[in-house]
Amino acid sequence: MVNTCYIPKTLEEALVLRKEKKAVPLAGGTDLMVAYKRGVGITPIFPFPVMIVTHLDELKGIRVEEDGTVVIGALTTSVEIARDERVPYFVRMAASKMGAVSLRNTATIGGNIGNSSPKGDLPQPLILLDATVVLQSIDKKREMTVDEFIIKAKKNRLNDDEIITEIRIPKPDYTYGYFRKIGTRKANAISKLTLSAIMKVESGVIKDFRASSGAAGPKVARSREVEKLLIGKLVFDLPSLVEDFVDAWDGVISPHAMPEFRRATTKNMLRYFLLECAKLPKSGIIE
Amino acid sequence: MAVTHITDKMKRVDAYEKARGEAKYLCDFHLPGMLYARMVRSTIPRGNILSINLPELPDGYYFISAKDIPEGGKNALHMIAEDYRCFADGDVKFIGETIGILVGSDRGVLYELEKMVEVTYEELPAVTTIDDALEKKAIISGEDNIMCKLECEMGENVDEVLSKADSIIEETFETGYQEHVHLETNSVACAYEDGKFVIYASAQCPFYIRTSIACTMGIKSDDIIVRQMTTGGAFGGKEHFPDVIAGPLIVACNKIRKPIFMIFDREEDMEFSVKRHPSRTVFRTGLDKDGNILGTDIKIYYNVGAYLTSSYVVLQRGVFHSTGVYRFPGARAWGFGVATNCFPTCAFRGFGAPQTLYAIEMHLDHIARKFGYDPAEYKKKYFLKQGEETITQGHIVEKVMLEEMMKQITDASDYYRKVKEYAIGSGKGIGISFYNHGGAFTGNGEQAIIKAKLKLKKEGEKVSILCGSTEMGQGFRSIMRKIVSDTVGIDIDNVFYDNPDTSKVVDSGPTAASRSTMVVGFLCEKAAKEMKERWNEGDFEVIKQYEHPEGHPWDQTTFRGDAYLGYGWGACVVEVEVDKLTKEVTTKGIWSSHDIGRPIDELIVHGQVNGGIIQSLGYAALEKLECKDGRFKQRSISSYIIPTSMDFPHQEYFFVDNPYPWGPYGAKGMGELVFNGADSAYMGAVERAIGRDTFKIPMPPEDIQGVVDRK
Ligand SMILES: Cc1cc2nc3c(=O)[nH]c(=O)nc-3n(C[C@H](O)[C@H](O)[C@H](O)COP(=O)(O)OP(=O)(O)OC[C@H]3O[C@@H](n4cnc5c(N)ncnc54)[C@H](O)[C@@H]3O)c2cc1C
Repeated sequence: MVNTCYIPKTLEEALVLRKEKKAVPLAGGTDLMVAYKRGVGITPIFPFPVMIVTHLDELKGIRVEEDGTVVIGALTTSVEIARDERVPYFVRMAASKMGAVSLRNTATIGGNIGNSSPKGDLPQPLILLDATVVLQSIDKKREMTVDEFIIKAKKNRLNDDEIITEIRIPKPDYTYGYFRKIGTRKANAISKLTLSAIMKVESGVIKDFRASSGAAGPKVARSREVEKLLIGKLVFDLPSLVEDFVDAWDGVISPHAMPEFRRATTKNMLRYFLLECAKLPKSGIIE
Repeated sequence: MAVTHITDKMKRVDAYEKARGEAKYLCDFHLPGMLYARMVRSTIPRGNILSINLPELPDGYYFISAKDIPEGGKNALHMIAEDYRCFADGDVKFIGETIGILVGSDRGVLYELEKMVEVTYEELPAVTTIDDALEKKAIISGEDNIMCKLECEMGENVDEVLSKADSIIEETFETGYQEHVHLETNSVACAYEDGKFVIYASAQCPFYIRTSIACTMGIKSDDIIVRQMTTGGAFGGKEHFPDVIAGPLIVACNKIRKPIFMIFDREEDMEFSVKRHPSRTVFRTGLDKDGNILGTDIKIYYNVGAYLTSSYVVLQRGVFHSTGVYRFPGARAWGFGVATNCFPTCAFRGFGAPQTLYAIEMHLDHIARKFGYDPAEYKKKYFLKQGEETITQGHIVEKVMLEEMMKQITDASDYYRKVKEYAIGSGKGIGISFYNHGGAFTGNGEQAIIKAKLKLKKEGEKVSILCGSTEMGQGFRSIMRKIVSDTVGIDIDNVFYDNPDTSKVVDSGPTAASRSTMVVGFLCEKAAKEMKERWNEGDFEVIKQYEHPEGHPWDQTTFRGDAYLGYGWGACVVEVEVDKLTKEVTTKGIWSSHDIGRPIDELIVHGQVNGGIIQSLGYAALEKLECKDGRFKQRSISSYIIPTSMDFPHQEYFFVDNPYPWGPYGAKGMGELVFNGADSAYMGAVERAIGRDTFKIPMPPEDIQGVVDRK
């Protein structure tokens, strides 16, 4: 058993290898190396050819387009994302709370989405913000929302000739925001549960409301239908709407382990956020 | 040339090489012609082995099992009993039991071969929890699944006390498994050198290994040399467990005559090594109308797994610590070591004491709150004092300074203001605990069983310390060199203390039971004193042997008398905030005071306090290890959660000066003491914050949510 490993010099070379050899990209390797490890002192064996893409500068970096869309290269690391003020708050927070420093220096956003784990931290805020992934093959380019891309735990719509090149986050527009990661401990922690929510208020009317729940089911949970329960309503009416809303949201998530905790805590956090919004505080993030 | 004095805070002699990664551990060594071994383990909790089908083994690869034990040997590891088999033979008793080992030169090949070994079983009904075993869902040990038991009592007859009490409070407390997570995983090698077997091991007790596997091989202990390698942490996990690796390796080495290494992966170490005993402690406590304790009847159950290992001694310690630092008019405790088809449990820092100490602390907190007393004030009424009787009808020999310690930490933490301010259920809480730890071996074990020896050897200006006690990260090598440096009056760089080699050193007993500084360090001080007096005699050796201090009667058959030579004492305050939305707990402050006699090195002792308390808080807050149908659920360090430095804040720590007459420079044991009480202070704080009583640890946020939701 010998591993086949390619090291393309350019994105184009990588795309050719992807198409012709079906080589699987290894970015930071923090998921792949762990998934195929065989033990101390033993080289991992991959059941497929691997190509190391870590060094491809074309897929690195963060830029902002004219309409405010933030574009993050697939090979950008969590540290780079967490440090960049131009990246929306929710994504920065999620990136800053991943693993420990060494992990954050290595883990990439493309890898986090590519891995499609329900406990992965970045999809949750990306799905909240209707972010999209750009999928490139040697023949064509596709774009779809992260929500569409991730099907369920460890399953996504990546074709075997495609590479994720970038993630595009439309400029968020909100009055109030909320982000919480409940990890297994205070640092270097896998998420037990995460939640983000935003609300846009104009003249006391809720113009937009979104929430997304991470680590609470086989994939990040959002429901435009349930979100609609609040859109168009008066902020002052929130106290009377809250219970129906949190109950409806409860139907959106489907936690397998620790269901009582995950359900009760999701309700607690959403209720808190909504009741805080009802007080119409200064706009910004609700802590 | 400078002498290092006891009062100097010293940098540990091994600090730099370890921090820089220069220290060499067993996995860094290579011996010519060496092979590796990989275990083939049982995959079911209980059953008969019908067949073992091996894949075709490449040249130079071997499968070693019970049939390879030489004539005259025995399929047993001599720990305390001889029930732990070197290899499962005919049947298996728990998931992870060694069936055989595969040996060969390439670890990748061994890994693949192991996956191809097919063992077929006839499965038998198994018991995997204390309840299963007590309900006799299957009988796996004796008539009732109780592998060992004991009872002891003191004071007034408890049955009478309970029959007259105004009220009886019955409460049951449970604690979970705990994994050691020593930084270095278990690793052992065996070679055949110059007509002797040589074991290289990451281990606490080289002489234990020697005895244990000499039994397996049926040879004299002297035909085996055990060399301790630099050991990256142990916490009890390397007290008896290295035997379980060394046994199969020596059997293999006997056949193959090549050096063979076995180095566990982290996942292997987590899933297939000994753990702390899960426990259940049931109190029936009789009270008068004002809530004063008249007497208590305590039943203690420890899940010992499939083999005894050190469990009987662990259970004894649990029983002897079950009334905590308190004296009640009457007390009786029963201990039951419950056999299950689970991985055997064994030594872990605290050695049985933490489970019952946690339980008694919570029990007193609950009674105090129920009757409207402050827990600190309530507990204080029952503090043991010098000369008072213990649960084994022994006496507290030393001065007890708990009240001074309590004052130190209640002042520093502003405890009394905070208990007033933090209303029950307010999300803020503060808790206080008191605890002790009996130093050294139980009863007369030091005198009757261990008979520790230590040798000092003078060559020119240099002195070597020759004993079997081991450095495993706790700082022992540093303090022993310091004791010699100060006592003899020579530069610490002229004092040598290498990792022990059983063919070169004398047996000073296991490095366990918080005994090394207290017992072996004392021998070292005595030997060094003699050496100083005779310094001008040229090159010579001094050997000292343990002498039992007068006035510590003990009867090991009835468990009566002074269970320990002396106690370390502790007090701890922990303050928390519990997030109302998520039940996440933030620890706001940790204050502790310990009576450890007199610190032999304040910096090293500080490290022990910090580490012990954090480990205890991890035990209470995070470290959930569930065993389902005999298999551990948390098998990696991403699912078994130990604390990081971010989880707990800076600690404030105090000591009291209470020199111990039979320890070096007044020191007594402290390595385990510092683990024994922060857990209950933390849980006391959490209880105040959420306004509910709790009955088990660990208690991560999801379980706190469960308690809050409880009707
Ligand atoms: C100690 C530790 C702690 C961790 N903590 C966290 C945590 O707190 N939160 C969290 O979310 N995750 C955590 N992880 C998981 C992991 O680090 C992240 O999922 C990380 O973002 C993966 O990125 P990577 O670049 O290392 O991925 P890789 O391992 O290189 O790849 C992961 C998957 O994505 C695919 N892939 C990678 N890049 C591309 C691309 N450009 N196009 C197409 N497919 C691609 C790979 O083929 C592979 O299938 C942790 C991992 C470890 C080892």
